[in-house]
Amino acid sequence: MRCSAVSAIVLLFCSLRANGQPGSAEQILRQALTMHQAGDIEGAIGAYKKYIALKPDSPMAISNLGAAYARAGRFEDAITQYRLALKLQPANTPVELNLALAHYKLGQAEQAAAILERIHKAAPEQLQPVLLLADCWLSMGKNKAVVELMTPFGERQPDDLAIAYVLGTALVRDNQLLRGQVVIERILRNGDSAEARLLIGTTKLSVRDYAGALVELAKAAELNPKLPDVNSYYGQALLSTGDPVGAAAAFRKALAANPNDFVANLQLAVVLKQDENLGEASKYLRRALQVRPGDLSVRYQLASIDFSQGKLEPARAALESIIKEAPNFTEAHVTLATAYYRLKRKADGDRERAVVAKLNAEAQAKEPGAKMK
Amino acid sequence: MKISRRELFALAAAPLLRGSTALFEEVPPSVSGITWVHENAMSPKRFLPETLGPGCAFLDFDNDGWMDIYLVNSGPSDFYQPAKPLRNALYKNNRDGTFTDVTEKAGVGGGTFGMGVAVADYDNDGWPDIFVTSYGNCILYKNNHDGTFTDVTKKAGLETPGWTTSAVWFDYDNDGRLDLFICSFVDYGTTQHLSCGDNKLGRNYYCIPRTFKGTASFLYHNNGDGTFTQVQQGTDIARALGKGLGVVATDINNDGLMDLFVANDTVQNFLFVNRGKDKNGKWQFEEMGLAAEVGYSENGQARSGMGVDAADVFGSGYQDLFVANVDQEMFSLYKNQKNETFRDVARVNNVAQSTRLLSGWGLKFFDYDNDGTVDLILSNGHPDDMIESYSAQVKYKEPILLFHQEGGKLRNVSGEAGPAFSKSYPARGLAVGDFNNDGLIDVLIASNGGAPTLLRNQVAANHHWLGLKLQGASCNRDAIGAKVRWSAGGVVRSRLKNSGGSYLSSSDPREVLGIGKAEKMDWVEITWPKPSSKVQKIENPAIDRYMTVREG
Repeated sequence: MRCSAVSAIVLLFCSLRANGQPGSAEQILRQALTMHQAGDIEGAIGAYKKYIALKPDSPMAISNLGAAYARAGRFEDAITQYRLALKLQPANTPVELNLALAHYKLGQAEQAAAILERIHKAAPEQLQPVLLLADCWLSMGKNKAVVELMTPFGERQPDDLAIAYVLGTALVRDNQLLRGQVVIERILRNGDSAEARLLIGTTKLSVRDYAGALVELAKAAELNPKLPDVNSYYGQALLSTGDPVGAAAAFRKALAANPNDFVANLQLAVVLKQDENLGEASKYLRRALQVRPGDLSVRYQLASIDFSQGKLEPARAALESIIKEAPNFTEAHVTLATAYYRLKRKADGDRERAVVAKLNAEAQAKEPGAKMK
Repeated sequence: MKISRRELFALAAAPLLRGSTALFEEVPPSVSGITWVHENAMSPKRFLPETLGPGCAFLDFDNDGWMDIYLVNSGPSDFYQPAKPLRNALYKNNRDGTFTDVTEKAGVGGGTFGMGVAVADYDNDGWPDIFVTSYGNCILYKNNHDGTFTDVTKKAGLETPGWTTSAVWFDYDNDGRLDLFICSFVDYGTTQHLSCGDNKLGRNYYCIPRTFKGTASFLYHNNGDGTFTQVQQGTDIARALGKGLGVVATDINNDGLMDLFVANDTVQNFLFVNRGKDKNGKWQFEEMGLAAEVGYSENGQARSGMGVDAADVFGSGYQDLFVANVDQEMFSLYKNQKNETFRDVARVNNVAQSTRLLSGWGLKFFDYDNDGTVDLILSNGHPDDMIESYSAQVKYKEPILLFHQEGGKLRNVSGEAGPAFSKSYPARGLAVGDFNNDGLIDVLIASNGGAPTLLRNQVAANHHWLGLKLQGASCNRDAIGAKVRWSAGGVVRSRLKNSGGSYLSSSDPREVLGIGKAEKMDWVEITWPKPSSKVQKIENPAIDRYMTVREG
């Protein structure tokens, strides 16, 4: 499903004369392609570089060098090459797709999505970029957009399980549980599957039936431990039912499968932070921030780690910026007030404290008990 | 000297036998004679007061030098009419490890939907009086010095509406008379009670206190003529709307004025720092839970604070604080930074890890083995009787935890403490006291909807001790706020006589000072609270016994 959508790197071929002169540019390129296809990636990279030194204006060779870098896990280098290739040949869709994939692999869902949106606009019927775009949006929390994007595909291809799965996930995450249920049933018609269990489990999580979710998600992880997100959600269910140790293990599994799993990065960091393993927690939070740049909850966690480590000025600055964007973020106001007090800025601390009191009173007024006589 | 084979065997086996002896042994009702059982009034509608009680107390109501026991029960209320009469219970200590129910004669049976108990000598007549908090109305029982009590609530002006929980006696203005702080829990409604609906099992469940409005707690000034005046208006105590469950009176900044730390459920904890009279002559308390870093979790969230206590845990000369929370929130041990702020050191003291899945209520700092350092006991139990249907890890009945201080850190020794610590309880109140006068402090735990548990301390450390009954003359008779220092074996230790703490409960007012292996105590020094602030030193006091010290 999602794995198949994200794993393809397109290798571009050009027509080469069968017999180039030994040491000629053509022969070097032929060697590069052969090595690339045979899996000798370091050899291919060297050969592509040699060729490009001789023929610097070949978008195909540059893009293939990018693909070789991507295969070696050097995604930043790959992005540089893909961008060079696109400068020379702007409307090359396979290269754009590769560029999006490289961003995706780096957890830069926002950049990947921007490229994929362009591809989708140019070729709206192509399924692969759409599935990838939907996945990026899911990781960015843009669930409504995914529902809108995938609904026409779901209507045209109701039996496509990849589409049903992505659409069902977005519906459940967007709390459109009834519509989600229909999609889940479509998946269930194909028998018990990890995908169906995952969707049922996430539905139960969203209605806070944690014990029920735990059963479904445990089964899903057992049926297909490699299913994207399965361990991430299983970890959340474990956490919600009071097993942070089990949850941390599940989040680590989720991250082994997908280092850019936002929820797993964030939740594992929170568990680690509770255990005062602040260094490791920071590492996962920074990764989560790569996946969702600017995410307030991640930035708050990072600021509170700074605060715990006595880095009061950086914490204060970060918290001030957070509450500017989210003036109702009570926890951020609490920590900012505390930071001010520690910095001997009593007046500022008192001001923040007053904001906390106001926000708490507003929240309390919304509780059912507020209407009691 | 010849040693027989049998003697040799006995000598060899002795360390093993000692090693296997539990630190605390449960005294069953069949032995103690304490047959009273708490009725929690659990109903299909799951009214919240059902799950919060009860409290318990060690007190010497007849001044015979032996700790008696008081237990609080539920009773009639606007949502509950018991099928048979319910009553609180007063058990007289028979001085042989057994107790006799004297409730009827004493006239302290209650009659409200009782919650907690706070014992003190409010009228300085040398006899302990009993204050009972309730869902409904409070009761003040004045001790008649003849084994009976009189309900003087109305005459004293202590008729307190709403839902009160823990209460604490302390002399906030150092006039020599004990004043009274009463925690008020939520506004539970007067004409209607909220139902939070069905859970996944199709049954009503207890509402989370977050759903209810908070309330202000009460501060009563003791007028010295048997009456009290409510004085919280115009102070932060009236302004701070909380959901108070636990309170301890202590002095966090060593200024000689007793402060209050209040644990609130689902809203921030309060630290009311006693600031004395303002320019208008009004006594002021400054609420500074957030600034002192004891109000919220490190993540800036209010938690479900329930039990509290205070003690100079690490020998810094300043009072540290403790608060127990609900499962997943972990409990906090706040180390005093000597500048009216605190840092949570629960993790380095193994408390956070040990309490992640627990919900804590009654708790107490005490030196259970008389080695001179402060230890800790925690009683636990989840408030939701159906929690096991939602959580694979969290249980309704939970174990008691015991921590021993070693090398300046607390260590969880529950596994070595005896069979009572491997059982689970729906525990709520907890009091500590030496009911058999052996110098080893025992424990009483009150369970929701069950029998109380009496744990006899049988630590075989053979440490020495001195027990003090402090009697104030110009200060309050119970000497709450007194500072005690003592020297033994080249070590000088100190303790502040706090008041309250735990949850809904009241502990033995005597101070047992442990001196470890030291064979003698060089001196003990008492700094009496204001108004006298006298310092009284006793050289070479006899040890391993209780002594009464009068302010003079």
